[in-house]
Amino acid sequence: MADMEIALDIQHLKKYFGGIKAVDGCTFQVPRGQISGLIGPNGSGKTTTFNLLTGVLEADSGEVIYNGENIVGLKPYEIFNRGISRTFQITRIYREMTVFENMLSASSMKMPVREARERAEQLMEFVTLTKLRGEYGGNLSYGQQKLLEFARALMTDPDLILLDEPAAGVNRTLLNNLLDHIHHLQEEQGKTILIVEHDMNVIMNHCEKVFVLDYGVKIAEGLPEDIQTNEDVIEAYFGHR
Amino acid sequence: MQEKAEIRSKYWLAVFLVAAYTIPFAVGIYTENVFFDLQWLADLTTVILNGIMQGGVYAMFAVGLTLIFGVMRIINVAHGELVMLGAYLTWMFFFYVGVDPLLALFITLPIAFVIGLLIQKLLLNAVVGGPELTPLLITFGMGLTIIHIVEAIFTTDYRTIPYAPDAFQLTETIAVSRSKIISFVMAAFISITVFIFLKIHRIGKAIRATAQNADVAMVCGINIFHIYMITSGLAAALAVAGGALVSIQFGFNPETGVLYTLQAFAIIVLGGRGHYIGALIGGVMLAVIESLISFMIPNGTAMVEIASYGMMVFVLLIRPRGLMGPKEN
Ligand SMILES: Nc1ncnc2c1ncn2[C@@H]1O[C@H](COP(=O)(O)OP(=O)(O)O)[C@@H](O)[C@H]1O
Ligand SMILES: [Mg+2]
Repeated sequence: MADMEIALDIQHLKKYFGGIKAVDGCTFQVPRGQISGLIGPNGSGKTTTFNLLTGVLEADSGEVIYNGENIVGLKPYEIFNRGISRTFQITRIYREMTVFENMLSASSMKMPVREARERAEQLMEFVTLTKLRGEYGGNLSYGQQKLLEFARALMTDPDLILLDEPAAGVNRTLLNNLLDHIHHLQEEQGKTILIVEHDMNVIMNHCEKVFVLDYGVKIAEGLPEDIQTNEDVIEAYFGHR
Repeated sequence: MQEKAEIRSKYWLAVFLVAAYTIPFAVGIYTENVFFDLQWLADLTTVILNGIMQGGVYAMFAVGLTLIFGVMRIINVAHGELVMLGAYLTWMFFFYVGVDPLLALFITLPIAFVIGLLIQKLLLNAVVGGPELTPLLITFGMGLTIIHIVEAIFTTDYRTIPYAPDAFQLTETIAVSRSKIISFVMAAFISITVFIFLKIHRIGKAIRATAQNADVAMVCGINIFHIYMITSGLAAALAVAGGALVSIQFGFNPETGVLYTLQAFAIIVLGGRGHYIGALIGGVMLAVIESLISFMIPNGTAMVEIASYGMMVFVLLIRPRGLMGPKEN
């Protein structure tokens, strides 16, 4: 793969929690401008990987090269300001702020206020939350919170979007809605998207490339259909757990 | 089960507050300080009005404390020392430069903001989110340092600023001192400005976002360390404004800050930790009860500190979240 085609180059990334080797020398390259999937059994280190990529946790060692720069050791807001945005497995919106305020809170201080407001309006429209703009985050349904968090992650027009289990707890209609948006972002705007997901339908039907983690190590990568029949992957999911 | 405990604690808090407001009357009646004639009722009204005015000022500096706690979970025990520092700054500008104490706010507030910013940057940023004892000890040491520096410069003598000492006649029998009214209006103005800033301005929103969840704020691009500095700057400015407004009403010396810290804590415990409106209500409630005590209980002025302390301890025992604080812990 040529460098230009790699959005995120993850090299020997490591994070231990005491004796737990959550991420254990993980290495993979996320292709630019595509939707990729990151899968693995429960506790295989997917969320921890996201936390390392976004600076929420500091890696013990390893490198993450983004646009030619190693972003390990940067603060979360520094990474965000370089164009990497994320959602959380368990949604983290501001419960005591309105939908609109939640959106505005993710605008960079450099973005003019008027522009931020316009963008917030557009994105709320995009995820059909305009009607709820004055509602407090805590009063939204779980699915609506997911949409809000997703829309919020797009406020600064990031190049790389990390989604941690976007399908969990979301009904079919909302999910299809969300997937449409994700495809729209990739096809129309050339964004890179990395999705952690348990729902295999989502992975198989929507990702161009899939990475598989087990015990904090990448054990396989490839096209969805190849992954499905990969011996190591089947072993990881059904064998030893 | 929990729901029940929650409702019960609310009732007990109500009972406690009613009792707290009744006790001064009971003691007053017992010691024959209460007369129930027209003159006495007019005096009582005056006292309550004065209390409300005073409460506005208390509320304003308590809001500074509640902001710091809400955003950083830091208990700043040097907050009262900043109030005291504000009184001295105002006094200096008044006596050495001849600046009106209220106009001096245009100079003292920016100074206070920078002081707060520096305290945060140099002392507190490194310890936010760590063990709670560390920032507590740092602010404790800072408070003592401020006291000793001020003592070294100004001695322990009481200072006063003669300012608008005449009374404003509301009716023939009810009068409120003019400096109290001015202070109240200023405090209300500053509190409302800060409230609107927090609600509407994007930095205000970032402050609220950081208070709700610093981790999320960070992944949404907010440099929380800048937010911490702005918060501390604001809190220091509120404290110093409080100092300016009490300096035109009361005498002060380097040790008066301790009482203001205590009052601010009582207020935010009563109002609910981290809660802005709660602090405003708590401020007025505390000041009114203080006024009632000094009005009806013989030698009551000396008992005023007990009011703050008692309020704080009982609210913590009965209902730790106070009137409006968040549920958790
Ligand atoms: N903050 C933490 N402290 C200690 N252990 C953690 C922490 N976060 C995750 N772990 C552990 O690290 C391993 C990987 O967790 P995680 O990354 O959440 O897995 P996944 O998202 O793939 O289900 C698990 O064993 C989990 O218990
Ligand atoms: Mg996970």
